[in-house]
Amino acid sequence: MAIVELKNVEVSYGATKALRGVTCTVEGGAVGLLGPNGAGKSTLLKTLLGFIRADAGEASLFGFRLPAQALEARQRLGYMPERDAVGRKVSAVSFLTYCGCLFGMKRTDAMERAHEVLNYVGMGDSRYRKMQTYSTGMCQRIKFAQALVHDPKLLLLDEPTNGLDPEGRIEMLELIKELVTKRGVTVLLSSHLLPDVEHVCDHMLVIHQGRIVREGSIGALTTARENLFEIRVREHQETYRTALETAGCVLQTLPNGNLLVEKPALLDPRVFFEIARAQNTHVRHFVPVRHRLEEVFMQAIGRH
Amino acid sequence: MPIYEQTYRAYDGKPLQGFRWWVMVKQELRILFGTRAFVYLLIVAVIHTSFRVFQITVYDMVSVSSQTPALMALKNVAMMQVDERTFFDYLRIQSSLVFIVTLFAGSGMICNDFRDNLIEIYFSKPLTRLDYIAGKTITLVLVGALLTAIPDTLLVVLHNLLAPGRETLRETYWIPFSILAFSACIVLPCALGVLASSALFSSERYAGIAVFMILFGNSALGTALPELVRNPNFSIISLPMAVNRVGETLFAQPRKSFPLHWGWSALFIGLVCAFCCWALASRIRRAERAS
Repeated sequence: MAIVELKNVEVSYGATKALRGVTCTVEGGAVGLLGPNGAGKSTLLKTLLGFIRADAGEASLFGFRLPAQALEARQRLGYMPERDAVGRKVSAVSFLTYCGCLFGMKRTDAMERAHEVLNYVGMGDSRYRKMQTYSTGMCQRIKFAQALVHDPKLLLLDEPTNGLDPEGRIEMLELIKELVTKRGVTVLLSSHLLPDVEHVCDHMLVIHQGRIVREGSIGALTTARENLFEIRVREHQETYRTALETAGCVLQTLPNGNLLVEKPALLDPRVFFEIARAQNTHVRHFVPVRHRLEEVFMQAIGRH
Repeated sequence: MPIYEQTYRAYDGKPLQGFRWWVMVKQELRILFGTRAFVYLLIVAVIHTSFRVFQITVYDMVSVSSQTPALMALKNVAMMQVDERTFFDYLRIQSSLVFIVTLFAGSGMICNDFRDNLIEIYFSKPLTRLDYIAGKTITLVLVGALLTAIPDTLLVVLHNLLAPGRETLRETYWIPFSILAFSACIVLPCALGVLASSALFSSERYAGIAVFMILFGNSALGTALPELVRNPNFSIISLPMAVNRVGETLFAQPRKSFPLHWGWSALFIGLVCAFCCWALASRIRRAERAS
């Protein structure tokens, strides 16, 4: 059974169409939701949470139809919103216990879970402080913890690394990755930061102007380019370079000293090795250059 | 290799169903009773109750056993009399305190959730809008009941304990029902009005001022309009007077406010409550969509 299933979902705010016939399925793993501002990412998440009723189409989570069975679906999901969202007058333990109770946990269970989850997200030392004293990064961790407190099967994360310092960002991404790999949690991560998505996700959905314009596994989307290679030879690099230029290749020296070589379409890649042999040298590094996620994204939204 | 792996355990408990609003009520009460100013306000409320306890004790002790002329004279002082008017007056006086306490407790209840963006966190849990509104309203109703229905009913019980007998019971058996109904008329519009204001304004200060100004304006209009049109029935547009009119009927008191049938006052109070509920629900629905 698909965890998330959308069929021709259309959502509009008055005359503005926010989602136009969105169809997608998420079976598991970590899926990155990418798109420029106003593309419809947040609307998609709100539709999945049952906050917004779709004008047309069908949406379901864990087989529960939305928004009719939204409460059953919400029992199984955790949501981390983009904006700062923490109760200021209470401590983190109290807030998380309350969140656990709202999920229907007994107070003692909820409190136990609150402590565990706060330790897990690295907030164990500050858990009794009132949340109004927390930094942005700490609030971010609390938002993450409240989404985890009831052990959800699906996590909807909206910009989870906002406001985090580089170290905190890496820690957060590692936690998300661990949830996916070790605990089998399905993650739908909405982010503007492509490296975050690349670090955590194995699939991605690119949404633009309310439509899904590209989807698939990140590995498949960032395929090797046909005629572009990164090459390093052991010695005689200059003569090798001249020989390649003579063979019709276009070259560029990268900051690490390697050569970025674009070969003519009809040229067989074996020629690189033959030329090296002819120049009395060895090829030490030979990697087909892959499409970067940024390129895939820009191409998908029509800005390349 | 680390001696332990930092992780958390899987939760395999069965979640309790329903009554999510009760979780909200408990949390709100926990926060309120953790606020010093709120506790001080409750202590102020105890002063009036203590006076009534003293009044009932003295009156009943005199009625039952005393033959001392001084105490017998005390029994005839109108202020020390204990009858249905005593319990009605208690609620009437407490109603101002209910307003202040509700304003203090409720003016920030919803706007602070908006400010802290907690609405989307709450509604991402299995919580409905009805649960949310019910949770907040019941919290304020309980706080109101703590100042009205509960102590007033206890005063009736005290009166029956100090002057036991069929006579007292016959005179007072119906009073708890009247107390309950009149308390509801005081507390419900107050709670819903404060919550609606809290939902409509961005800060608790503005919400509090708005409720205060509306009530002040409403009372002023309720006093001025009957004079202008020379018809006392127009006093009904003043919410405190409408509540008072219902109270007079419930406690079988002589009509002092205005001659219009009490049913109109009850209808007016009901309409105010319904309007507040509508404002509250539509604002929260909008916030849910826009979160």
